[in-house]
Amino acid sequence: MSRRGTLALVVRQEWRMLIADRSLLLVLGLLVALITYGFANGLAEVRTRDAMVESVLQAEAKAGRSQLERFDRIASGQELPSPFNNPANPAIAGNGSGRQAVLPSAALAPIAIGQSDMMPNSYRIGTRSKVEFMYDSEIESPWNLLSGHFDLSFVIVFLLPLLIFALTFNLLSSERESGTERMLLSQPLGLGTLALGKLIPRAAPLLAVAALLPILLLLAFRSEAWGAGWLLFGWAALVLAYGLFWFALAFAINTLRRSSSANALMLIAGWTILVLVMPVMLNLLVERLHPAPSRTELSIQTRAIQADNLRRYDDLFSGDYRYIDEPESLQAKDGKIEIPARTMASFLARRDMDKRVDGLLDGFDQSLAGQQAAADRLSFLSPAVLAYEGLTVLAGTDGQRYLTFRQDVSQFHDGWRARFEPLIMNGVAITRPDLENLPRWQAPPHDRRGAARALGWYVAVMALCALVAGVLGCWRLRRYTVA
Amino acid sequence: MLGLIARKEFREFVRDGRMIWAGGLMVVLLITSVLLGWQQQAAVQAERVASQELDYDAWLNQGPRHPHNAADQGMHVFKPSPPLSIIDPGIDPFVGSTIWLQAHRQGETKFRPAQDATGLKRFGNLSPAWIVQVLAPLLIIILGFSAFATEREQGTLRQLLSMGVAGRQLMWGKALALVLALGVLIVPGALLALGALAGGASGDVLLRFALLCLGYALYLGAVIFIVLGVSAMCRHSRTALFVLLALWIGAVLIAPRTIADVATRTFPSPSRVGFDEALSADLDGASEKEWMRNFNVSSAWDPKLPLSQWGKALQVDDHSGYGVLDDHFGRLWDTFERQQKLQEAAGVVAPVVALRAFSMAVSGTDFSHHRHFSNQAEKQRRLLQEVVSHDLIEHADPLGDRHFSYKAGPELWAKVPRFTYDPPGVGFALRKHWLSLAVLIAIFLASLLFARTAVTRRLSA
Repeated sequence: MSRRGTLALVVRQEWRMLIADRSLLLVLGLLVALITYGFANGLAEVRTRDAMVESVLQAEAKAGRSQLERFDRIASGQELPSPFNNPANPAIAGNGSGRQAVLPSAALAPIAIGQSDMMPNSYRIGTRSKVEFMYDSEIESPWNLLSGHFDLSFVIVFLLPLLIFALTFNLLSSERESGTERMLLSQPLGLGTLALGKLIPRAAPLLAVAALLPILLLLAFRSEAWGAGWLLFGWAALVLAYGLFWFALAFAINTLRRSSSANALMLIAGWTILVLVMPVMLNLLVERLHPAPSRTELSIQTRAIQADNLRRYDDLFSGDYRYIDEPESLQAKDGKIEIPARTMASFLARRDMDKRVDGLLDGFDQSLAGQQAAADRLSFLSPAVLAYEGLTVLAGTDGQRYLTFRQDVSQFHDGWRARFEPLIMNGVAITRPDLENLPRWQAPPHDRRGAARALGWYVAVMALCALVAGVLGCWRLRRYTVA
Repeated sequence: MLGLIARKEFREFVRDGRMIWAGGLMVVLLITSVLLGWQQQAAVQAERVASQELDYDAWLNQGPRHPHNAADQGMHVFKPSPPLSIIDPGIDPFVGSTIWLQAHRQGETKFRPAQDATGLKRFGNLSPAWIVQVLAPLLIIILGFSAFATEREQGTLRQLLSMGVAGRQLMWGKALALVLALGVLIVPGALLALGALAGGASGDVLLRFALLCLGYALYLGAVIFIVLGVSAMCRHSRTALFVLLALWIGAVLIAPRTIADVATRTFPSPSRVGFDEALSADLDGASEKEWMRNFNVSSAWDPKLPLSQWGKALQVDDHSGYGVLDDHFGRLWDTFERQQKLQEAAGVVAPVVALRAFSMAVSGTDFSHHRHFSNQAEKQRRLLQEVVSHDLIEHADPLGDRHFSYKAGPELWAKVPRFTYDPPGVGFALRKHWLSLAVLIAIFLASLLFARTAVTRRLSA
């Protein structure tokens, strides 16, 4: 019989045995349940965030309408302007009509909650300083942030390897312990063929379910996933590469000729090191390599800058305030408007705050970018890190996407203020068309090309890890002796 | 006899390399985490103390300024880092430590350290607490799964019993061996942590440390008895190993996340946008009502109100918001606490959850302590507002349009006292989290009973 024929025979035989002892069905059933539960959790979270984005956009539209209505009432004399709420005043319009910058969830967002439970996915843009609106964070119980979520990424990164172990810890040792090893190898059957024949019926159904079931769930419950295109293949490639690594590791450990219990212990030890300990140590390392500047220091510096600004614009802050007695002086006339001195001072102080604080905030972004780059470089030390990072990239919930969003928001805010600055400085009144045509935030699409690059790296490194483990196993197999 | 059994077991742990390899890794991690925690806590605490001083000095020396401007600029308060955060940083990486106290609105702690970190932070934080909570049970399983099952497989169990050694004696001997092994591995780290704390530690901190030891002892004791009970129940060591590993995966990995998700679904937290919108709407509503009642105007800062009344108006506006702020923040924080209480109760099925709650509470790094600090900070903010608005009432503008020309000086700034945060004592932690301690005690007793029953029934079978 040819080698291929022998392999087919072993695969068929193993398949029959796995079905008969129900272990495969049990593990597959468990995997289906875990994937479904993890997916449902992720989907619920994404729907909550999507509803939130929708409500933010509705609030923006409502604020815009309210501004226009007030503008009309003041222009027609039905309402007197006040120093705090006069849309013809560019300093007020710049804040009151402020746009909402939102980050919509990506097509495959239910895969991994990632950083989305902590990082804000909307900011209200206005002429306020960044220190007043960019330090916010999403509301989530800190206990839950500490515990983490039971989403698909958790199932794949943490639990899939354990299910693989359940099927493979005694791949070869069971034959030895039941006394069938000698008998089998006395047949025209190589040890490699036997091992491969045992791996195929275990790996094929398990990895097929792990890779394909989430795709089916996504297509069924997330309409955006239909447009995800190659990202779905990316998901499958990542899961397959990750799963193959653990199968390869289990195979390598089986070739050490230890007992089933010893195999299980070594596998669980390997898993503990690679999935639990190594990511924590890596985090420690990248934080040491690129430490974030001190936020406490930032607070102190912010206060010092604010004090400087209050001193610099003290005259304006202390100016007379006749607008209560003479509200009509706040009316726009011939395209011009009087900007109350305090309003002007407030705008200038905030502008100057940003000029000086931008550099400090950049330091945090640079540190985070440095940490991310270091984490990517070192991620080969733990396939769990590769898988987690890859899954969050696919889901669009990775730290890099939020960092880019924050930088885009910062730029939009700069542009927004720059648009109002000359109007405020020159006392130019805002007109109705101005209010109607204020620039809108264009939500950046999920950077699929960037995601592809990152994902390609993660899959390639993981495949290499799997190859190394597989080669080690094959090398050990050559030295495998049957007592 | 006990000593003999324990010595024999302990010798086996060392001889077959389980203790050297698995335990060695734990010792290295434990000592590293204590040293890192120590260094970090000391640096963070020193920085926050210095910053608190700097901020107050800046407040005192801000020069002549309109009080409203001073209140708008406000001051910062920094949450002290509790000494026991060396052992359990708790929720600290996921909550901020700085509150900006400004006029008009309650501040929240800003700057979660996790936001300045990559997604790797979500895998966990290297701390002694994490190591003992997650890895120590696995070590106990590795050392103890074969305690009875292997004796049975090798036939030595029958011999021992026929020699008159009682099953319970065996159980206590093996338990003692596991305690010794854990002691050898954990005590150096614990002593190092105690040494780090000892310099200037108050009685409260030492009492908290002792309670922390008690909590972890109950937890690890429960794990030891569960491992021995399962080992006694299983005919084969392999079965015992798989049952115990499955229990560990379920209780330590899966249950905490599942329970957290259930708690969130049961007591959902609002979104940031939803919370802010509802708070603003209620603040506006309350404010308008008070403005109408006090000044007979329909909206806040209505042009009909003369500037000479703005000091009083500021006070009225602030007072109108206090109840609303208490209500909204109170509800949000109650939601977090309800979520946590539910999880503590669920600690019956996942002891690590109960331990985590107890450990954080005793270390002063749980949400109750965080809330306590936030409340104290808000008191300081309201005090600052009161001082400012009182001064503006006293110095109401007689001219009509010169309200903002008035400048207060250092005497006024000095009326706002230095913010000194006095963290609550250990009694506070115990009052808030007696449930998790009760759950730990119950689990310990139940596991002891389980092990005794398993040993009595199965060994004689």
